[in-house]
Amino acid sequence: MTSAPLADPATPVLSVRGLTVDLPTEQGILRAVDGLGFEVAPGETLGVVGESGSGKSVTALAILGLLPSSARVSGAVELHGRPILGASEKELEQVRGAQVAMIFQDALAALNPVMPVGTQVGEAITVHREVGGAELRERVVELLDVVGIPNPAERADQYPHEYSGGMRQRAMIAMAIANDPALLIADEPTTALDVTIQAQVLDVFRRIQERTRSSVILVTHDLGVVAGVADRVLVLYAGRAVEVAGVDRTFYAPAHPYTSGLLASLPRLDRRARRDRRLHQIGGQPPSPLALPAGCAFHPRCEHAEVPGRCDGEGPELREVGPGHLSACHFPERVPAPETVER
Amino acid sequence: MSTRTPRDDDGLVEGPPRDAGPSGVIGAELLPSATGEFEAAAHAAPVARSQWALLRRRFFRHKLAVVSLGVLALIFVACFGADLFAPYSNTQQDLLLGPVSPRVGHWLGTDELGRDQLSRVLYAGQISLKVGLAVALISTFVGTAVGAIAGYAGRATDQVLMRVTDLFLVVPALAILALALDRFGNEDTTIILVLAGLFWMYAARVVRGQVMSIKEKEFVEAARASGASSTRIVVRHVLPNTVGPILVTATLGVALAIVTESTLSFLGFGVQPPETSWGNLLKDAEGTVGTSQAYLIYGPGLAILITVLAVNFVGDGLRDAFDPRSERRR
Repeated sequence: MTSAPLADPATPVLSVRGLTVDLPTEQGILRAVDGLGFEVAPGETLGVVGESGSGKSVTALAILGLLPSSARVSGAVELHGRPILGASEKELEQVRGAQVAMIFQDALAALNPVMPVGTQVGEAITVHREVGGAELRERVVELLDVVGIPNPAERADQYPHEYSGGMRQRAMIAMAIANDPALLIADEPTTALDVTIQAQVLDVFRRIQERTRSSVILVTHDLGVVAGVADRVLVLYAGRAVEVAGVDRTFYAPAHPYTSGLLASLPRLDRRARRDRRLHQIGGQPPSPLALPAGCAFHPRCEHAEVPGRCDGEGPELREVGPGHLSACHFPERVPAPETVER
Repeated sequence: MSTRTPRDDDGLVEGPPRDAGPSGVIGAELLPSATGEFEAAAHAAPVARSQWALLRRRFFRHKLAVVSLGVLALIFVACFGADLFAPYSNTQQDLLLGPVSPRVGHWLGTDELGRDQLSRVLYAGQISLKVGLAVALISTFVGTAVGAIAGYAGRATDQVLMRVTDLFLVVPALAILALALDRFGNEDTTIILVLAGLFWMYAARVVRGQVMSIKEKEFVEAARASGASSTRIVVRHVLPNTVGPILVTATLGVALAIVTESTLSFLGFGVQPPETSWGNLLKDAEGTVGTSQAYLIYGPGLAILITVLAVNFVGDGLRDAFDPRSERRR
């Protein structure tokens, strides 16, 4: 049910070290995640950002052992200090949903179309506990109420297709928090929603987290969502962590050119519009994970790269550039400060 | 929810979740209406209905299925209540009367021994219906189990199970049946078991295909992510999504079993006199085609035709009723 007692707040809920995921494809082995390491503290929200194919979702699935069996996963994933990577399916079933719950992007696809929503929320509970009858029903209705579904008692008997998009996502959240997990992994939970509903769903997130103090890994490509919800940000590029920092430092003092490029390419309402200036874009294409550039994977797209030189010669390691701020850049000092990336 | 009976009622929640306040529920009060109202207004809450009520309503909108269900019910009552409804007993002969064409008193005529054809059709229906239903039930059950295991497990399990299925498919059914009946006797139980043993493959293939496509759906992954075991996922999430095709296969199975049993009886391998099935009656009437006694064909022939059609229509109705998405299309 609940996590182990949080005696020492410094003990991370989740600790990932050297996570590497190889996926066999027809063109060869695809390294989707390469030596990724990070920790999630109790009650913390970690935003994981990166573009499509950067390994965000694969990481999320790898933590729960949900990757297809053809995937080769190495490294270490520990939940409250207990290794869960490579654990048996039986052990993983005890972890999934009870200690680590997942919220999927497309709630319509992630809900069983032929089962009433309330029954599905009940499933999430009865998978882990013997509860039945009126008690289960009561708990389900409460959960639906918690996530802000109006008339939860009636709504519980309806099918997913009778729900609106925002309500489906809320129902997913209700299922995820049904067993009060220590860690919620939300894989692009708001991407399929329009902005007003997005805000409401994020609000539900925030309230639930305040109350339960679960940790959250929020996988997204939406920096706006990260700015609003996350405590720390992990930026992924081509399956590697390129920057880890507190949310403020990420937005005010990015130490990796990819992060600063992402920030500069955000359209902003608070910046004076200039007709002659187009929105910033990061040049080039994300590299194919089957043929990563030598050295720093970002160097072909980097405005500050030293080529030929260190950037195409030597892969940068993640190193500390400030308090709690890690960057995998040879020249973090060259990254433009917020004068170009206003905030 | 309301109609679902969870496994146990005595399971207790093991203590309240951490720091969840006295209610034991995270943030029961924490959601102000602000987040809910927007959508609440847009979707006025409909009246809550139980799952069965929904099913019933959707089924009863399918007119043909409802009529067919009525017809089937009528046939069932008439056949199994033949002792009450049949004008004559199964075997009562009237040699003086001989064969007469349909008329008042003998609605379907009589055969050469003066036996009332309507009464015979009703009594024969007992066997035919029993065989049809039992075969469909058993073969669908076996086929669903095999198909679900093969489809969900995949790999070697799938290969082995499906090759066995193929093997059964290429077996010449009628020859095997004839042999088996010759060997084990013509009891209806034997016929049922042998027919079920020869018909489960169709359900297995259909279910396997369905399961293979449904197990890739995201809600299955979501169920895995919530800690559900494979068995639970198959039983609670995958199979309910294949109810439509399974029902259709099952109804086809009823029809197929009735027809096959008739064929067997027609060939002389089925149930043996004095027990009769619709197939026996057809066989008895075999020589009458083109003669003045051709009316003997109509009774058993129509009985088979109407029953098989009605069963199929009911299957259609059930399939639509079980698919909540069909609500919009209609």
